[in-house]
Amino acid sequence: MSGVLVVMEQRGGAWNRMSFEAFEAGLALANKLGTDCIAAVVGESVQSMAWDSKSQPNAMYAVENGALKEYTSDAFVEALAQVIKKLQPAYVVFPHTYQVRDFAPALATRFKQVLISDVVAVHEGPVFVRQLLQGKLNADYKHSSQGPCFISVQAGSFRAEQAPASALTMEVFTPELDATKVRNRPGERFRESAQTVDLSSAPVIVSVGRGIGEQENIGVVEELATALGAEIAASRPICDNGWLPMERQVGSSGQTVSPKLYLAVGISGAIQHLVGMKGSKTVIAINKDENAPIFEVADYGVVGDLFEIVPALTKAIQNAKG
Amino acid sequence: MVAGVLRVAVEARQITGTSPSPDISAPGIPAILAEPAHFSRPESALLVLCVLLSAGLFFWRFGPILRRILRSKKDADFSLSPIGPRAWEFFWEVLCQAKVIRQRPLPGLAHAFVFWGFLAFALVSLNHMATGLGLGFLPPESLVGRFYFLFAAAWALLVAVSIAGLFFRRFFARPIWLGSKVSYESGFIAFLIFMLMVTYLGAFFVPGDSDAVKALWWMHTLALLVFLPLIPHTKHLHLVLSPVTVFLKRDGFSKIPPLAGDEDFGLVAGKDLTQLISLQAYSCVECGRCTEHCPAATTGKVLNPKEIALGVRSYLNEFGPTSDVALLTEARIPSPDNPPAKYLSMEAAFECTTCGSCEFQCPVGVQHVPLIVGLRRGATNTGAWEDSYGTKLFLALEKNGNALGLSAMERDKFIQKQQFPVFDGTQEYCLWLGCMGGYDPKGREIIADFARVMQYLGTTFGVLKKEKCTGDPARRLGNDLVFQTLAEHGLKAFETAKVQKIVAICPHCVRTIANDWREFGIAPEIEHHSEFMARHKDRLPKQSGESIVYHDPCYLGRYQDVYEEPRAVIAQAGTLVEAPRSHERSFCCGAGGGLTFLGEEKGDRVSYVRAKELVSTGAQVVGTACPFCNTMFRDALTAVSETPPQLLDIAQLTARAIPASQKEAAGGVE
Amino acid sequence: MKIVVAIKQVPERDAQIRIAADGKWIDESDLSYTINEPDAYALEEALRLKEKNGAGEVIVVCAGPERVQSTLREALAKGADRAIHIEADDLAALDTLGVAQVLADAIRGESPDLILTGLQSDDLGLGQTGVVLAELLGIPHATIIMQVEVAGAGLKVKRELEDGWFQHVEMPLPALLTIQSGGNKLRYATLMGIKKAKTKELKTVPAAASSSTPTITLERVYLPEKQKKTEMLTGSPDEVAAKIVDKLKFEVRVI
Repeated sequence: MSGVLVVMEQRGGAWNRMSFEAFEAGLALANKLGTDCIAAVVGESVQSMAWDSKSQPNAMYAVENGALKEYTSDAFVEALAQVIKKLQPAYVVFPHTYQVRDFAPALATRFKQVLISDVVAVHEGPVFVRQLLQGKLNADYKHSSQGPCFISVQAGSFRAEQAPASALTMEVFTPELDATKVRNRPGERFRESAQTVDLSSAPVIVSVGRGIGEQENIGVVEELATALGAEIAASRPICDNGWLPMERQVGSSGQTVSPKLYLAVGISGAIQHLVGMKGSKTVIAINKDENAPIFEVADYGVVGDLFEIVPALTKAIQNAKG
Repeated sequence: MVAGVLRVAVEARQITGTSPSPDISAPGIPAILAEPAHFSRPESALLVLCVLLSAGLFFWRFGPILRRILRSKKDADFSLSPIGPRAWEFFWEVLCQAKVIRQRPLPGLAHAFVFWGFLAFALVSLNHMATGLGLGFLPPESLVGRFYFLFAAAWALLVAVSIAGLFFRRFFARPIWLGSKVSYESGFIAFLIFMLMVTYLGAFFVPGDSDAVKALWWMHTLALLVFLPLIPHTKHLHLVLSPVTVFLKRDGFSKIPPLAGDEDFGLVAGKDLTQLISLQAYSCVECGRCTEHCPAATTGKVLNPKEIALGVRSYLNEFGPTSDVALLTEARIPSPDNPPAKYLSMEAAFECTTCGSCEFQCPVGVQHVPLIVGLRRGATNTGAWEDSYGTKLFLALEKNGNALGLSAMERDKFIQKQQFPVFDGTQEYCLWLGCMGGYDPKGREIIADFARVMQYLGTTFGVLKKEKCTGDPARRLGNDLVFQTLAEHGLKAFETAKVQKIVAICPHCVRTIANDWREFGIAPEIEHHSEFMARHKDRLPKQSGESIVYHDPCYLGRYQDVYEEPRAVIAQAGTLVEAPRSHERSFCCGAGGGLTFLGEEKGDRVSYVRAKELVSTGAQVVGTACPFCNTMFRDALTAVSETPPQLLDIAQLTARAIPASQKEAAGGVE
Repeated sequence: MKIVVAIKQVPERDAQIRIAADGKWIDESDLSYTINEPDAYALEEALRLKEKNGAGEVIVVCAGPERVQSTLREALAKGADRAIHIEADDLAALDTLGVAQVLADAIRGESPDLILTGLQSDDLGLGQTGVVLAELLGIPHATIIMQVEVAGAGLKVKRELEDGWFQHVEMPLPALLTIQSGGNKLRYATLMGIKKAKTKELKTVPAAASSSTPTITLERVYLPEKQKKTEMLTGSPDEVAAKIVDKLKFEVRVI
């Protein structure tokens, strides 16, 4: 048993880019151990997928079977179990995606192992670092048994550099799968129809407060929201004045949101507003008052004139998105 | 034997044709009440029959009501003693009609006259009936008789004028508080009372032995006997009940009774209604004073305190006091065409800010706040109330121990930043932050400023390491589980830290700790920061010039009778201006009763209404003494005025004049 | 339908965390405990399913020392019918596989139609116990579930995916689901619920002895070097904009 196997994720022929970050983690681990780093991708017909990350695997496997066209835990676990039995890696690395969370623990159980999930760093040992208690503590985990060590890697912990796509020679492996043994029947993926504004599911929110001054000025923030592909929200006074509909209000008498990014523009941060957005993963605040309470909950803060900063930001985002 | 003597006197008069005493009557000046000289046996028998009929009808109608009241659940916490305050209430409110007059002067005075007239008439009526049986005991010609009957006549005049005035008010002036429905029975009863007075007065003007006297006598009797059975089924039941109701009122203002035993969850169904509640429901006189002063009712909400009391009455009439039928029904849409819906709704019950105006205004002893909170308890303790904001609040109180759902570490950070000493038993006061003082930016400013004031005055204080909410919003919204948990936690925290005196900036905290926690234990003595500062007012920096309009918080004013202390503090900080509705009439800011944590209001915003009123005084500053009022006005003032006045708590008003060097020594605030 | 809800008792989110002297875990003295939040949503889902289908039984199961009984009682107060306390004083010595085995042994005998559990725990957050439990019991599973509907003899569930996507999955019963927070509105514990809970059954069973040694071990815990601090971005508007875009690209990853 040796080597590092990284299981890549794809859907409909497009990579889940977190896979490349997981690959970086796997590669770093392999280099520390002085072994090979192999990659494998699972699907119906994936052998012609191009690799567009700078670091490349020592070998690449296409795990193909008709039963693997749509993701199901039963099929993937069985398929990968066969791959692992064949390749005998010492380490199996996954990106910590929703899909991986669904099947990797079951796969590990097949080998009487426990997945070390959501790893943020790999140290000498190897020691795998995870976060506990909603990020309040870090913990060092070690693998302490025979058999492969399974880990999944947190998004954004390792950086993968994109490179021009290149074709990789993939060895095709066709696992033996009995489609009748697949117990779940997945349906089509869908997005919720936006009948009313549901800020609670928006991943990015740009929120505007009293600092905007006049109703006419809201356009400045709306442009930023459009550039970011974000939903626009507001603190209560803005909605009270009718400048934005009530359903866009965030706060104790409006919606409670927890987006990946909350951009607070001209919002002071009164408690009634804070309780509605304190669950946001990242908060960026722009306010001309350095003592505004919003800065206490912001990860990044800008003290300045929003009428200068927001247009500049909008332009910069438009450029970055190309 | 007395009767015998009187009979002889009467017969003597008949024989002599003159009265035994000097006849001072001259044409046009009545001085002697004319009474029918003689009642035949059939007449007396008829009288007895009528009296029996009337009384029978009265009891036939009153009996079930009395039964309903008596069959209601006993009030677990009721105690007749101390009897002194009860006697005083009875004397002052019932006999002197103090609140009736004070809160609605002109109609109140008119009513007082009618009431006192009734009392004055007591002997008249008794004698009147006795006369019909030949047992009259107040001869009209005797000195006592002449004085008394003239005395009563003066009252009769007053009553007649008053009742006519009240009739005019109800049927022509039509104040909206009395309701839009024309009440024919009220009109009829007013007419009867008027007739009683007219037939009485008339007896001074007719010749002693004419048929007119007999006629008047019978008209008076019939008016009385028709009136009697009308009492139970109209709001005039208050004649019988309200003196008792006022006497038996629950002690304390807005006092929420403890739950009685494992099966008691509040007012869920008829069988949960207690005797006091039933008594009060039947005593409601429908005057509408409660509605007139209710912030919810006057801003377009469904809640109408009068309808809550009357709704309980209708419920008792239909289902009785042992019923399992739920008290609260679906919300109804009020409309002038639909007759008022019969019962009570959850929507209305949860629109109450518990400001207490209704209970304060009620002249017959209805205690609305415990009733409404009781209805809320019935809904919340059983999980029937499914409101997303309410649930969020209760979960926040359960999980985080504060009403805002913020991590307790936020308070820790604030305390550290302010460098507040931790209470360790050596300081004089424990400074209680509360949820607003610990987590709200404005509340924190007030705390920081008050801390500065205390340091300036040389008073030592410390803060508790950990604080949980006093449970006020849970108590007012009827969640006894959360309230009990928080109250017991708080009592233990004070005991462990050996706290003896507490001072707080929030009237809700003060009231809850001082009163509501008593259900589970006695807390150390606690006072509001206005009381503390007023005691030291001569040492507070004297400022002058700015006009400051003071807003009496509900939980400090009506709830705790603290009116003058904040004013004394404001007088040091500028010129005190009174709001149009101040002191016990102060209009709620809208935050109480847990409402500040619930969603959007319907109708006009209570806070805007009050803000407009405060702005209309033209004062430069709005002075508050409650962090919730402060928070409500922060948005409201800017919304209702282009150039809103400054908004400052009394602590901030004082601290701003403390010399800067002292401020720095105290440790800066952000 | 018989539903088993596997819950975990974890330190309160607000708790002041101190590292134990041996550096291997946190100092547990002075800690307050509560139900793991995603498990609260799992319980809520179970109660809703029972209420919607008019019949059935909701059984809560929790492994741990005696203190977990309070969390079980709270679950009974919210409406669960029975509780099973798997007495285990040293759960920390087991890995996920070990814990799942303990749960499997206690649950197997109940033959539930459906097992619900939160998608991960607030303390360790490995997010696997549910899936491993399903594997050990040999039943199908689905994770990060927002909604559950009974469909004939099986289930139709709504699974949350990345970036605002969702997917319906049809599954047979018996099955196991891990529930995402926020799918339902939690109910608050009522006084009535607490009183009723006093008469409901809370059975204590010993944890089955573990046969294997842990495959992964938690060596030590420590404070992360970076504390959450507000990073103020300065410069001209264009400079600040560029800095923000950089953060958005690499830290927040929304571009």
